[in-house]
Amino acid sequence: MAKRIALTQLSSCWGCDQSLIDLHLRLLDVLPELEIVYWPAVVDYKLHDLENLPDNSIHIGLVEGSCRTKEDMHLLEIMRAKSKILVAWGSCSVFGGVQGLANQWDLKELLERKYMKAETVTDPRIPKENLSGFTEHIVPNPELVEVDVLLPGCPPTSDNTLDALTALLTNKPFDLPAKTVCDQCPMEREEKNIKQFKRTHEGKIEPGKCILDQGYLCLGFATIGLCGAQCPTVNTPCKGCFGPPPAVTDHGAKIISALGAVADMDPEELQNAFPDPIGSFYFTDYASSYLSKMRGKNRGKKK
Amino acid sequence: MTAATQKTVPSKSKKKRKGKFEPRIVAFCCNWCSYAGADLAGTSRMQMPPNARIIRINCTGRIDPLFILDALYQGADGVLISGCHPGDCHYTSGNLKMRGRFVLLKKLLEDAGIDPERIHLQWASAAEGDVFTKGVTAMVERIKKIGPNPLRKGD
Ligand code: SF4
Ligand code: SF4
Ligand code: SF4
Ligand code: FES
Repeated sequence: MAKRIALTQLSSCWGCDQSLIDLHLRLLDVLPELEIVYWPAVVDYKLHDLENLPDNSIHIGLVEGSCRTKEDMHLLEIMRAKSKILVAWGSCSVFGGVQGLANQWDLKELLERKYMKAETVTDPRIPKENLSGFTEHIVPNPELVEVDVLLPGCPPTSDNTLDALTALLTNKPFDLPAKTVCDQCPMEREEKNIKQFKRTHEGKIEPGKCILDQGYLCLGFATIGLCGAQCPTVNTPCKGCFGPPPAVTDHGAKIISALGAVADMDPEELQNAFPDPIGSFYFTDYASSYLSKMRGKNRGKKK
Repeated sequence: MTAATQKTVPSKSKKKRKGKFEPRIVAFCCNWCSYAGADLAGTSRMQMPPNARIIRINCTGRIDPLFILDALYQGADGVLISGCHPGDCHYTSGNLKMRGRFVLLKKLLEDAGIDPERIHLQWASAAEGDVFTKGVTAMVERIKKIGPNPLRKGD
């Protein structure tokens, strides 16, 4: 019997959908197993179609994106109520995503920056009509509702999503691995002793050799190994888009810890090497960091 | 627990003294230097504000930045890290690794909107009970100026 599946997008770039569709013809292998009951990215369903389904009537619910609006919150709660297995799909859903970096500012500042002060704005006003309203800050979905399966990645590779779906369709567990991107990476490594950090556009990355050893911030050591090390394999530093392995509670803390050990530099030089450490160390998971949670709790108190 | 730590951990007073802010400081002290220094301060009966909770660690190189973030998250008003002088680390360079981590962490705190002065790194040898004591006193003064950690839980 085909399993009923729903796919929802909260605030996101829809890249996770794109990655799934990149399966191309291989999609045909799983499609017969699935009865799609909601997937606005591809099929013309409306929100009330989802709202009208009985609770627990969806076998697998995939939620992409994080809650930047009150409507996102509503969708997330409905998906939770209707799904037997709720999957946080992609780094937005698991950790808050790139938009979580906005947690460095208050909502008021963000709205002013975007709607009043942006260089291209000609009619400055903060939109209010026909809108559900914004959330104060980004909270990762697993902290808002109970989530059964985590599948990070920005986006998860086509195969990651296929693997997860295949496991869930056959009632098998889908657990995250403890390994890192470095564990999957073919680059040749040496004893690390970094004297200088370079930006990616500075100098040239030598193929075949560990990118971190060459003084570029490659975050493979602190990042969960699910993507097959696809960036370092093509000479591009890992930006950590899949977030940390399950045992690591704070991506940035782990990165700082390792940098302290491998950098042979003056403290000042080291500090100056990373002008935007939050952006560099928490590309897709700032909302799930200690720092962001501290500020979030503060906001709660001020109100 | 040695005499020194017992002296530095304040007895929990039940009375709530309103209006007066007494910072709570978590002090990570290296076993080979500052912890011994703190001990010396205790046995030589040096005066030290009772605000620091000392946690002994084998080397400052063993401090995961996570410990510091977690302490702040749990409501510590400040975190003091006290280790061997550069060149004197029992494990050669643990303190230098800590120093690298510390500067990065400070920048992170600043960017996240948390006063970076809430964390401080100092060097104090086993013989420098006075340096350690002064470090704690200065830390308490600094934190008094910044004010309580907004995440601080009830006294
Ligand atoms: S996880 Fe990445 S690819 Fe997926 S929706 Fe979010 S930003 Fe897009
Ligand atoms: S640091 Fe980067 S390049 Fe080096 S082994 Fe790890 S993933 Fe590969
Ligand atoms: S190598 Fe790193 S940045 Fe690239 S896809 Fe994998 S986790 Fe993301
Ligand atoms: S042993 Fe004291 S800092 Fe390393």
